[in-house]
Amino acid sequence: MIYIGAETMISPLGSTTEENWSALKENRSGISWVAGAGLHHQGLFLARFHPIEKDRRFTSLLYEGMQQVALKLDPSIMLSARTQVVVSATKGAVDTDIRDPFGGVFNKFKTHFGLAHQPIVVSNACISGVQAINFGDELVGAGQFDQVIVIGVDLITDFVVNGFQSLYAVSDKPCRPFDAARKGITLGEGCAAVVVGNDRSIFAEAPLELLAGSSSNDANHISGPSRTGEGLVRAVRRTLMRQGCQPEDIDLVSAHGTATLYNDEMEAIAFNRLGLQECPTLSLKGYFGHTLGCAGVLETAATMQMMRHGLMVRSEGFENLGTSKPLPILTENCKGPINTFIKTASGFGGGNAALIVRKL
Amino acid sequence: MTVIKGYCHINKEDCWVNGKPVLAKTDDPEYSWLRQIYNFVGLSYPKFHKMDQLAQAGVLALALLKHEGDLPMDYSEEGVDLVLANRHASAGSDLRFQASYADHAAPSPALFVYTLPNIVLGEIAIQQKWYGDHIFVVLPAFDPDFFIQYAQRHIQQGCQAVIGGWLEVTDTETDVFLFLAEAEESTGKGGSLPLAAINELYRQPMPSISKL
Repeated sequence: MIYIGAETMISPLGSTTEENWSALKENRSGISWVAGAGLHHQGLFLARFHPIEKDRRFTSLLYEGMQQVALKLDPSIMLSARTQVVVSATKGAVDTDIRDPFGGVFNKFKTHFGLAHQPIVVSNACISGVQAINFGDELVGAGQFDQVIVIGVDLITDFVVNGFQSLYAVSDKPCRPFDAARKGITLGEGCAAVVVGNDRSIFAEAPLELLAGSSSNDANHISGPSRTGEGLVRAVRRTLMRQGCQPEDIDLVSAHGTATLYNDEMEAIAFNRLGLQECPTLSLKGYFGHTLGCAGVLETAATMQMMRHGLMVRSEGFENLGTSKPLPILTENCKGPINTFIKTASGFGGGNAALIVRKL
Repeated sequence: MTVIKGYCHINKEDCWVNGKPVLAKTDDPEYSWLRQIYNFVGLSYPKFHKMDQLAQAGVLALALLKHEGDLPMDYSEEGVDLVLANRHASAGSDLRFQASYADHAAPSPALFVYTLPNIVLGEIAIQQKWYGDHIFVVLPAFDPDFFIQYAQRHIQQGCQAVIGGWLEVTDTETDVFLFLAEAEESTGKGGSLPLAAINELYRQPMPSISKL
């Protein structure tokens, strides 16, 4: 069995997992108005760290996340030759070192934490986080390592703000995934970690079971989602098949839900094709914004917290369904056991990925 | 057992397929080096011209391997798993995109979409209609064990082929290495080199073809 646990969240909603969970269950959003943050110095809604409280940059945030996740593990794990660190990120330190954005991962990081191996960076746009967890499962499953620390980090920079604004993909209101009035994404930033391992005893708090999945490409367009949801259907179908699960076994879909018109429509089509159209569904982008390479890890960690606490949180920003196919998007917090959830992600480059977590 | 059926290199001056020189750069003022390779492999693919250098290099390396390496690559839609890696992600396109919005100019959306290293995977998937598992990773340097283990795992899991490689394309460096691995018992065309030789294949001496 492959375990997943030690979930760690650092976001504008809080500096610890506990603070983030408190905010989520109270339906507090990390999105706020930031004056002058936009392309032409106009204001923008962002889920951004408060810059005066703490100046968090790529490398410092990575270190902060590693320090936190270490506290949730047997202390010998960090130094073990059987441990690999996998970093999930899209842009690294593009704001301070554009020629070598991942230098902070490779220089000093290994010696600072006394790691036995150099980390590996998974950089697959918005599916990076889900991919990185699945990659961790692969390494542990093949016996190459006993545990993989998966840590996702991405920050809001002028680079990404300008990029998404140039695509007209940024909403002028806080993002509203799956809603009829959705107008685009809200960018977010954060750091999150989970640990994937084959030994239950390394986790300070009892872990959950990881039923890892697969990725599939739309083979259609590099920056627009497939109109038929082809890649997402294939990624989820392969994940269910590999794990011997049926759509009926899934209690909750933690969707990607970016709140762009085309992405959310694509997901609704895919989930209907997959027979998941009656399963409670949410997007966490209304709380965290779109944290890009961090998103898959952060949203898996947050959904693991829901599983542990037996509470599905409302899909923030959603009021009226705005997709052509039905989806039961959560409009209220919903108490009750979650035995199995699926996390999906879709992104630039046409990638889609999925994973399943089950309660033990 | 997993074996390498073929491999190729593109560096700043030459292309090599299965250890043999196939093309040398000329001082053609009309065509860039990557465009010269495009002409050589006889590609006719309009989308190629809007790609960044990283994506172009990936598509060209695949075409070289296919045509010069005589590998039909007639796999099922989900039969091929792709694994590409480099050291500097999409730094070349990142610099160009940053330049597009410097001095209050308008940022270019066409450049922005290439500021992710995994876009090359999408371009290959689109061109080939491949829907398999795919991943892009950033490593401190070419790591033979990373590729050996990935190929072994995925072939064992039942995929027909793994196409993997190192794709470092910046303004100063062109270091492209692509390989195709299959299970030993597969009956497809191509050679049968041990996967463990990948480091020697990557590092094979490549004297300038024009001086050969």
